[in-house]
Amino acid sequence: MSAPLLSLNEVTRTYTSRKGLFGTPVAVQAVAGVSLEVRPGETLGIVGESGSGKSTMGRMALGLEAPDSGSVRFDGAAMPDPGSESWRSLRKRAQMVFQDPLGALDRRLPVADQIGEPLEIHGIGDKAARAAAIARSLEMTGLSADHGRRFPHELSGGQRQRVIIARALITDPELLVCDEPVSALDVSIQAQVVNLLIDLQAERGLAMIFISHDLRVVRQISQRVAVMYLGHIVEEGTAEEVLRDPQHPYTRALVSAAPVPGARQRQRVILTGEPPNPAARPSGCAFHPRCPLATDRCRAEMPVLTRLAPGRRAACHLIQHTPAGMAAK
Amino acid sequence: MIRYIASRLLRAALTIALVVTFAFIVLRLSGDPATIILGPEAPPEAIEAFRHNWGLDRPVLVQYFDYFRAILRGDLGISMRDGRSAIELVGERIPATLALTIPALFLQLAIGIPAGVYAALHQGTAFDRTVMVSAVFGFAIPSFVLALALVLVFSVKLGWLPSGGRDSWMHAILPILTLGLGGAAALARFTRSAMLEVLGRPFIRTASAKGLPWAAVVRGHALPNAAIPTVTLVGFLVGSLIAGAVVVESVFSWPGVGRLLVVAVSNRDLAVVQCLLLLVAASMVTSNLIVDFLYGVLDPRLRQGARAGA
Amino acid sequence: MTDMLAPSVPAKPARRRWSLPWYVTASLFWVGLMLITAVFADLLMPHSFTALDLKYRLVAPFQSLAHPLGTDELGRDVLSRLIVSIRISLLIAFGATLISAVLGTTLGFLAAHFRGIVEQIVLVLADFQAAMPFLILALSVLAFFGNSLPLLVGLMGLYGWERYARIARGLAIAASAQGYATAVSQLGAKPGRVYLRHILPNIASTLIVSMTLVFPEVILLESGLSFLGLGVQPPMTSLGNMVGYGREYITRAPWIMLTPSVVIVLTTLAISLLGDWLRDRLDPTIR
Repeated sequence: MSAPLLSLNEVTRTYTSRKGLFGTPVAVQAVAGVSLEVRPGETLGIVGESGSGKSTMGRMALGLEAPDSGSVRFDGAAMPDPGSESWRSLRKRAQMVFQDPLGALDRRLPVADQIGEPLEIHGIGDKAARAAAIARSLEMTGLSADHGRRFPHELSGGQRQRVIIARALITDPELLVCDEPVSALDVSIQAQVVNLLIDLQAERGLAMIFISHDLRVVRQISQRVAVMYLGHIVEEGTAEEVLRDPQHPYTRALVSAAPVPGARQRQRVILTGEPPNPAARPSGCAFHPRCPLATDRCRAEMPVLTRLAPGRRAACHLIQHTPAGMAAK
Repeated sequence: MIRYIASRLLRAALTIALVVTFAFIVLRLSGDPATIILGPEAPPEAIEAFRHNWGLDRPVLVQYFDYFRAILRGDLGISMRDGRSAIELVGERIPATLALTIPALFLQLAIGIPAGVYAALHQGTAFDRTVMVSAVFGFAIPSFVLALALVLVFSVKLGWLPSGGRDSWMHAILPILTLGLGGAAALARFTRSAMLEVLGRPFIRTASAKGLPWAAVVRGHALPNAAIPTVTLVGFLVGSLIAGAVVVESVFSWPGVGRLLVVAVSNRDLAVVQCLLLLVAASMVTSNLIVDFLYGVLDPRLRQGARAGA
Repeated sequence: MTDMLAPSVPAKPARRRWSLPWYVTASLFWVGLMLITAVFADLLMPHSFTALDLKYRLVAPFQSLAHPLGTDELGRDVLSRLIVSIRISLLIAFGATLISAVLGTTLGFLAAHFRGIVEQIVLVLADFQAAMPFLILALSVLAFFGNSLPLLVGLMGLYGWERYARIARGLAIAASAQGYATAVSQLGAKPGRVYLRHILPNIASTLIVSMTLVFPEVILLESGLSFLGLGVQPPMTSLGNMVGYGREYITRAPWIMLTPSVVIVLTTLAISLLGDWLRDRLDPTIR
């Protein structure tokens, strides 16, 4: 097994928000002590509802935000501080794809100029080399030279996302973080963009973190999946294992909402109760108010993420003492 | 409401402090006061003594705090021109300026608000267009041009009114007209747009759909709501009246603070200029406080806060 | 910084031909005339603006071919003085508007970039500037420092910066929130690139509209100061200067004072009409 390209070790991120000028500050823990690893060429899917801290995870993985505690290491070295010179030059090795491609593009510039901008920023190649790289990037993402001459508002949503991907890949990065890259797109376009990402990942041996609230999309693209709930990872494993045999009640609810073709059809688990609010975190297991199996212990004591099998972890009191794959029911 | 007033008072104090700091910085940057006051040929011992007497040989920060303290005590220095205290000189000019600015303010309100309201209620009519056109001209015509035009017509050609001095109430007419007309045009334009915005809101349609007579809708609903943004303009009007008074008093040889400022600036009578600067800052801060207070009274959201909070 | 301004999108591509209202055409014509006068002042002047012609004193306009707009009491040609005055007044107003736009935009960007204490300082200064009548501040500075043309331009350049600062700050914060600025800085761009290459061109139309709205106010301010004898100093002349000078001859020779007055009014009128029209066209959100 190769050394991880990216590793996050017990990272925590807390935001403070205050109401009004004199309001008392409220601390909101977005990510609470999470550890993850991504190996070169591997795709890790992160699944969770809004407020689960998955986007914050993505930002910390890229080094856009420094964790309050814990550490992020990229290619064996500590992630430099945001804004520093070494941080800046690291940007060409780790890139991001956004949820809203129109917002991430300058509406005043033709998209080809924007695709080539990372080369200008990092001083890669001369004018001719840049033009060639832009042409290659356009082609690789299924866009024509004519598309390159257009402005963002003259392209469709899917084409804009291709532009973002072309811009992200033009510096040949080793890591790509995609934060909800298809959730703003039509369902028919979603598949095209996901397939493009799958192809590019396979061709170039990219490591990828794919963040989504939609397990169906994550399943298509990821080798490994981590499920997040209110700042914690509640379950982690290969995509195959997690989908066929989810251990955590929350994962089970997600899986049952997105049936896997060919898998044994389970009873549908419907999530009830309030969606998670990071500002008012429940005691004990954060999921207990919505968990159909919650016990007194779940209300009082926080479960620890425990290794069930190699590369397979889950955090639930109910599976502590049962062998893997035999969750209490 | 208490918090609202407190924050406004704090801001007012901050503005005054900034003006004092501004005056101090400008005063220090403008050169060595010793050589300015004693002249460049003064013997070095005299300059040394002067510097020591006035504390100019101490650190700048100490001087700054001394300066601040002196101003808080009301010690604003002595006019270099006639040796009287600056406050006294300025003080005796204030009534003359108020005799122009207060009637001018009322003139602005008396013309501007009705014209703006009427124009909004009769949008697109000849009257409305006249108001808009005069508002544009009111902005483009500087007060000294308006003043001279009035002099040319009413004093030179018609010989009805005196063109300068302060001997009778007749002498005040042209200056007041000059000050009042420009501001009235701006006020009319602003009132008109505030009124139009209110008239376009759904609650006006609801009120008239309920069967209320249109006059009652305007009086009961539109006017009070349009008054809220219009009140904020009063601060601006006071500022433009002060600036206008400088020009108008000079044109009409009116012995007020504005003319004093121009004379003091030409003579580089620093104590008087500084005193006038603080006077202007104080009047601006006061009028802004009044505006904020009126705003608080008029805006029901803040008034509600007063009942619940206090 | 290769092609910062080259490719720009028309704000609304659907609207190709703008049919100009008559007053906009007239304003454009007048502003054009003023610009030509200012640029080619040396060629257009029939006489030197300081040349005395004691034989022809206080000649009324349209009486003499040599002095089409008449002469003043020293026999100086009013037309020539007017042409020089237009040049000086426009030069001061241009310089001042440019300084104030650059200063304000820079401070606004700094406030948006650093937030926190820097932003608070900028906002307090902007409040202070907006609360004090600028004429009074300008007069105080002139009292302390005396007068010179560079000082006057620099002083006028402090007028109106707070408006650009507020606009630039607000729009830069909005741009960062929108994502394209964030996206570019996440590509590794330095703040300078983000602000100059991406944010500035995106807010340029709003800033240009504000400049057209501030410009006539600067003309009024400068002519007011010069009228009071505290702005442009003789032997140099400006529009306000000419009015102030001609005021003493208002009974005998009103044309000395009337011609520059008309030019001031028409110029401020034309530019503010253009500014209002541009604002309605490009950016109805300001004020």
